[in-house]
Amino acid sequence: MAITIQIPPPLREQTGGRAEVEVSGATVQAALADLIRQYPGTATKIFDNGQIRPYINVFVNDEDIRYLDELNTQLTDGVVVALIPAVAGG
Amino acid sequence: MIDTPSLERYSRQMRFPPLGKAGQEKLLAARVTLCGCGALGTVLANILVRAGVGFLRVIDRDFVEPSNLQRQVLFDESDVANNLPKAEAAAAKLRQINSTVTIEPIVADINRTNIEDFCQGADLILDGSDNFEIRYLINDVAIKHNIPWVYGGAVGSQGMTMTIIPGQTPCLRCVFEAAPAPGETGTCETAGVLAPAVQIVASYQATEAIKLLTGHSAAINRELLILDVWENTQRRVKIAPLAGRKGACPCCAQRNFAWLDGEHGTQTTALCGRNAVQVSHRVQGKLDFAELARVLQHSGTVTYNKFLLKFHLVENGSPYEFTIFEDGRAIIKGTDEPEKARTLYAKYVGH
Repeated sequence: MAITIQIPPPLREQTGGRAEVEVSGATVQAALADLIRQYPGTATKIFDNGQIRPYINVFVNDEDIRYLDELNTQLTDGVVVALIPAVAGG
Repeated sequence: MIDTPSLERYSRQMRFPPLGKAGQEKLLAARVTLCGCGALGTVLANILVRAGVGFLRVIDRDFVEPSNLQRQVLFDESDVANNLPKAEAAAAKLRQINSTVTIEPIVADINRTNIEDFCQGADLILDGSDNFEIRYLINDVAIKHNIPWVYGGAVGSQGMTMTIIPGQTPCLRCVFEAAPAPGETGTCETAGVLAPAVQIVASYQATEAIKLLTGHSAAINRELLILDVWENTQRRVKIAPLAGRKGACPCCAQRNFAWLDGEHGTQTTALCGRNAVQVSHRVQGKLDFAELARVLQHSGTVTYNKFLLKFHLVENGSPYEFTIFEDGRAIIKGTDEPEKARTLYAKYVGH
C-alpha cells in the first residue's frame, strides 16, 4: 500500500533533503514506523517517549488525526500523511 | 457621523461591497493591539493604518538593526543610524502615512505581568511576534478576556496563520498543544527567512483583521493556512473539529492560563557586575544538545559536554557567550540588560 508522507523543512536534514517519502503501512503508526525504518534520524524528531511531539500535528488528507483515530487512524492506498510542526518565526 | 471628504482616502476599499461606508466607520472606531513589530508586525501595521484602523498600540522591545531591513517594511537606514526602538520608528512612519489615526508606541518586553494591560480595551490582538512564548501569552489573554486574535508565523520560505475567536474556533493550544522546546524548530536567525513568505502571512492576518473589525466574522479563515513560497504550495488543513478538544484543551476548555500564571515561560535575572543575564526558560524534559549544536553552528561556534552547551556569537560587532543548561536555562554574557538577553535567547535558542 503506497502512502506518501510529507516532510516539513525542519525534518528534511533527517531525510536527505527529501520533502516526500513513500512508505507502506495500514495505520499512521505503521506508516511512521516505515518512515523511521528508512530514515532513522526522524525518530526523535517526531516522537518523544512514544508520543508524537506536542508541537507536531499529523494530518491524513488534511484531517487532523486527533479527531480521527490518533495513531491508529487507518490509511488507504494513495493517501497523504502530512507532518506539520508549529512555525515559530516572524 | 464622519464627514464624507475625510473618508475620500478610503474610497477604494469602501467601494468593496462587503465594507462600504459602514465598514469604514467600524474600522475608524476600532482599537487594535499589535504584539511585536518585526517582519509580520510592520506589514500588519502598514496595512491597518492605511486602512484607517482608529487606534493602534504597537509594542516591541527591540531596536532597528541592519539585518531587519531586508523584510521589515516600515524601517530604513536612518532608523538604524539613529538606533531607534522599533515601536518608535514604526510610529513615526505610520503617522506620516496616516495622521488621522492614533498610534501608541510602547517600547517594552511583553510578558505575563504587562500583557493584560496592553490588551485591555482592544477589539483585536494581532501576533507580530517571533516566538511561541508571546503567542501562548496572547492566547491566554485572548481566551481569558474574550478578544479575537490572529496567529502568524514564518521561517525560511514557509509560513502559517490561523484566526482565533474565543468560543467559536479552536484556540492555539487546541491546535498546538505545547511550544517547541528551545532549538527544536528553526528561527529566522538560524534557518533564515524570505521576505515574501513572512509578508504574505502578515497580509493574510491583516485581511482577517479587517473582516473581524468590520463584523464579517462569517468570512474568516477557520482552518490552518500553510504556505511555502519556494515550493509553490498552499494548503488549508482542517482544525475546526479540534475546538476545545472535547474538554481537554487546558486553555479554552479548562481555562488554565499557564503562561499568564507563570507556569510556563521565561524569567530573567541580571547577574550584577558580571555583564551577564540569566534566562530561565522552563522546558518539559531535557534539551537535546546535539540537535541544538547542529542548529547553532550556522550562527557561531558551539561546544558542549554532558552538562552544558557553550555558544559564542558576534552580533553587530558585539560578542556574546551563551552557556545553556539541560533544563533550558541560559547565562548570556555580553549584556546586563534583561530585554537584550531575552531577545538573544528568543532569536538563537528560540521557543
